[in-house]
Amino acid sequence: MKPTVNVLYLPGTNCQEETVRAFAEVGATPRMRFAADLLAGDDRLDDADILCIPGGFSFGDHLGAGAVAGALLRSHLADQFEACRTRPLIGICNGFQIAVRGGCFGKVGLKVNSAGTFRNEENQRHVVDTDNDSPWLTGLGGQTLSFPCAHGEGRFDPGSETSGYRVALRYEKDSNPDGSFEDVAGITSLDGLAFGLMDHPERAVDREVRLAFFENGVRAVR
Amino acid sequence: MIHKFSVRSAGIAEPDIRELGRSWELDDLEVWRDYYVEFEGAPEPSALSDVAAVLGDQLDVQVTLDEPLEPGAVQVAYKRGVVDNESDSIITVCALLGVKARAGKVATTYRSASPRLRDLIASTRFNATIEELHDEEPKYDTLVPQGHYESAVQHDLRGLDDAALTELGLAGGRNLSLAQMRHVQHIQETLGDEFVTDVLLEALDARWSDHCAHTTWKSLGSLLGRLVQAAKDVDNPNVLSMFHDNAGVWDFYDGHAIAIKAETHNGPSAISGYFGQLTKLGGVLRDILGTGLSADPIGSFEYTAIGEPEAPAPIKGRPDARRLAGETIRAIKEYGNTFGVPMMSSRMTFHPAYRAKPFALGGSIGLLPVSAAQRGTPRPGDFVVLIGGLTGNEGIHGASASSAGATMDTAAVQIGAPLEQVKFRKALIELREEGCMSALTDVGGAGLNSAVGEIGEACGVWINTALVPLKTAALPMWRILLSESQERMLLAVPPEHQERAKKILDRHMVRSTVIGRFADTGRYHVFHAPDLTEEALIAAAPDAVPAHQGETGFDVSYDLLDIEVERQEVGPPPRPTGAPEWPSLAPAELAGLLEQVVSDAEVASQHHADSQYDSTVQGNTWYGPHYGTEQAVRTGYWAGTPVAGSPAAAVLNTAFNPWMFDADPVAATRQMFCSAIAGQVLAGVAVRDICMCDNFYTPHLSENWREWLVGMVDELAGLVRHFGVPLISGKDSSAGSVQTDEGLVSVPPAVFLSALGKVPHRDNLLPEQWTTPGNVLVRVGLETSSPVGTVAARKLGLPSGGLDDLALSDVDSYLTALAASRTLLRSGARIGAGGVAATLAQGVLASGTGVLLESATTESLFAEHRVGAVVEVSPDDVGRLPAELNPVVLGTLAAGSGITLDGTDLFTPAARDGWFHSFTARIA
Repeated sequence: MKPTVNVLYLPGTNCQEETVRAFAEVGATPRMRFAADLLAGDDRLDDADILCIPGGFSFGDHLGAGAVAGALLRSHLADQFEACRTRPLIGICNGFQIAVRGGCFGKVGLKVNSAGTFRNEENQRHVVDTDNDSPWLTGLGGQTLSFPCAHGEGRFDPGSETSGYRVALRYEKDSNPDGSFEDVAGITSLDGLAFGLMDHPERAVDREVRLAFFENGVRAVR
Repeated sequence: MIHKFSVRSAGIAEPDIRELGRSWELDDLEVWRDYYVEFEGAPEPSALSDVAAVLGDQLDVQVTLDEPLEPGAVQVAYKRGVVDNESDSIITVCALLGVKARAGKVATTYRSASPRLRDLIASTRFNATIEELHDEEPKYDTLVPQGHYESAVQHDLRGLDDAALTELGLAGGRNLSLAQMRHVQHIQETLGDEFVTDVLLEALDARWSDHCAHTTWKSLGSLLGRLVQAAKDVDNPNVLSMFHDNAGVWDFYDGHAIAIKAETHNGPSAISGYFGQLTKLGGVLRDILGTGLSADPIGSFEYTAIGEPEAPAPIKGRPDARRLAGETIRAIKEYGNTFGVPMMSSRMTFHPAYRAKPFALGGSIGLLPVSAAQRGTPRPGDFVVLIGGLTGNEGIHGASASSAGATMDTAAVQIGAPLEQVKFRKALIELREEGCMSALTDVGGAGLNSAVGEIGEACGVWINTALVPLKTAALPMWRILLSESQERMLLAVPPEHQERAKKILDRHMVRSTVIGRFADTGRYHVFHAPDLTEEALIAAAPDAVPAHQGETGFDVSYDLLDIEVERQEVGPPPRPTGAPEWPSLAPAELAGLLEQVVSDAEVASQHHADSQYDSTVQGNTWYGPHYGTEQAVRTGYWAGTPVAGSPAAAVLNTAFNPWMFDADPVAATRQMFCSAIAGQVLAGVAVRDICMCDNFYTPHLSENWREWLVGMVDELAGLVRHFGVPLISGKDSSAGSVQTDEGLVSVPPAVFLSALGKVPHRDNLLPEQWTTPGNVLVRVGLETSSPVGTVAARKLGLPSGGLDDLALSDVDSYLTALAASRTLLRSGARIGAGGVAATLAQGVLASGTGVLLESATTESLFAEHRVGAVVEVSPDDVGRLPAELNPVVLGTLAAGSGITLDGTDLFTPAARDGWFHSFTARIA
């Protein structure tokens, strides 16, 4: 049996196709989970091996990036989302913002970029942390991976949180596009199951880079 | 009951607010958002706390409840009737929390002790057309926009003389001519009715406007027909659809096709840069969605020409160019990024002729199966289904206003809401794949009237305007019909698929309503019957027209809606001759000129804007919109691989230079057309695999504008026939003259060209980045040495004159040789604004490699050989370049990062600084 991946599709999600493609390329069976079906009880969020929250502008991000989606995960889908957190979970860009608001990484924040606006970088370079044993990062520690950056609210701010997360990757020195604290570009939960990053590996031109994280996540549940 | 939630930073202000404070020189500036929520009844305190918790769900944010506006604070909010994009989200959040809310409103509040605050906001952050400015807490009875139904006004045209007809044709902001009013009179007489309604007058005003009916083009001798006939004569097998759908469709590979369309939104963008530009991009994306049986947008492009940023607006109360620039960037960012379509190409030009009315062009390409490439045809009995956003009192007379030019520029702007469009984008693809639609179209200029009227023409149609979901409680019939509320589409859904279609739309959370039915009547029929429900309509027999129709707006045979346009004869346009000479400059002077040229907005980095547009979403971007391992330099073309698993690439480039059109629109048309083709061939596309989209923007009050327009169209038709490169889509705007406080301001007669090509494998595309020191840089292509229209000529203050006249046989020879020589080329960059010098400078910046020039003159460096390129070849291959390429060795790639001539580095640190920062410095 191929591992299954539920890809949460909210009004405003717009990176679902490249994300689904990436999971399919590494041998998983991704399927979209529509918010309307979840709210109606016709589908479940927690009936797959992996939960993926892809990028976009959920509910237009009108009340803050991921705010409405976060409220959805904390209210109507709270039990199912809690179950998903016991398995690998990945949040990319808006998905990361939603996962933060869903409480996956303690009380950290993702705020408006230091430039005050959206930032697009076609070849942003990221260095994978060597001290994080998250299944999403297996074998990648110390590597520099280049993939696109495209976000407006990605400035990582840990606030007073010191123990709710672990650093997964950092922007290469002197290339921090959003002003994140200590160049943090992605984090995992303490148990390493939940992985959030602002930039978009699923868009990378280089196949190996594009699939690295997805391959690891799927391998972990085979 | 209405409650107010104020959400602000608890600690240090956010960076964007600090930046605003710096730019306004207000150290104590505070900015926050006030959310007003109208609840149903009085909510419990715990419910208010829950709402506050969501609004304040961010680090270092505090929320206060019902705190009135403090003295010294200034608040900007939309007028009631302009529904905030945030309103839906507020209602959604409340619903998730189990609290019932009716409406929401968001305001931005500024506070500072400075007495300058109010003026700063009023001049830079406030648009009186759509917003209110408050110094004290506003009092709202309700947040729900108010509106009411008014019975249709009846007019008996029988016996009215010309003066009375003329007066009625122009009443209420309409723009119906006497000839058109006589035709309405004829309609009434033919129908034998006692009267016609204002609903019919408004519907025909829109239908016969220049925007919808292209009356200007028709009056000058079927100009569109000339372009269409040229494309037909060419008979390029790649053409799947041209000029009769919302976009042209070009064959791609393996059963796929690509739609292309570009539109302008010039009038609204002069009033509000933000909303005008927002809706230009939203509108063209909707065109793509509404092409064939729906295409999925895979790329967008935009071009904006405005006045010089330092100059004031020529009309009091209008935003100046600097503000338009900022609002443009914000709008393009918000719509394109939210929609999830990669930006392929973006550019901003500062040209004084666009100071009164910008050139606001948005374009898009989309993917669809060949099997869905043809425009659908509704069948009698199909439901008329309206999907997407609510209909409000917005943009009324927008289409007519854009055709009336200066006299109607004060029409209200439309409000864009990208989220609505993102929601139905994938729903449409699903509907297409499941065969749920027999036809569809977008709801754009002239609103439902245009969409229903056009799509219903195939057989006949009736709609009940009372079923149209509104932002307000009610609206008069004609306003519902003409509202230009955005993010709506109209579908023809066969009865057997209605239930399935509804399910798909619900799943995507897309609002949908059956508002009428297509009928085998050949008539366009509009009525307002509040007691005819959607359920009753769906349950009725397919061929039944409701017995009870409430109030009738009109019921007219389509045959009667056509009107002849009076033909105007024009002669040939006056052609300028002669050109100034390039001055001779010493190396140090050349360096000074290079600094000025690369600092010009046509050449300089526009990273400040580009870096805010998502260029990689969808994961299909293969090349562009920037290249360079050292610095991000704009590419000459964009390429994407839109079909999963296929290496086949779509290639897009554009060609436009308003200064050339200033000088000679016909010669400029030829150079731009050939330049676009040459750029495609340089990239690796075969000529037969290129098509184009044209966007004319012409002044309607300047001398010889008709002659120039006809001249440009005929030139294009000739070029299409010569090269076999068809124009498959386009649009015309003939309202480029505006009466201003400074007098008449007219744009140059011009056409913007967008070229779409295809290659079977992306690896065959030629990159622009230089590869190896020691390789030789060679200029190839046709010489267009006239200084006229060049950046350098403007910096040198040279007089105007004629442009070079290209011999098309020479262009043929060059293109053939270029295609045959590709294996010799290591890299190649198209020559554009700034000439060879700008191409070299950008090559240095991108690659970090220097150039040793063999020789150089002012002309050799700064002439803009637009049908040419700078190519890199190995030293051994220089002699193998065919003579038809007209190769001219420029120099050698060398270590370092200078452009060296006789020991002098022409590319000074000041020039580099100018390239990096000049654009930002002028607009930010």
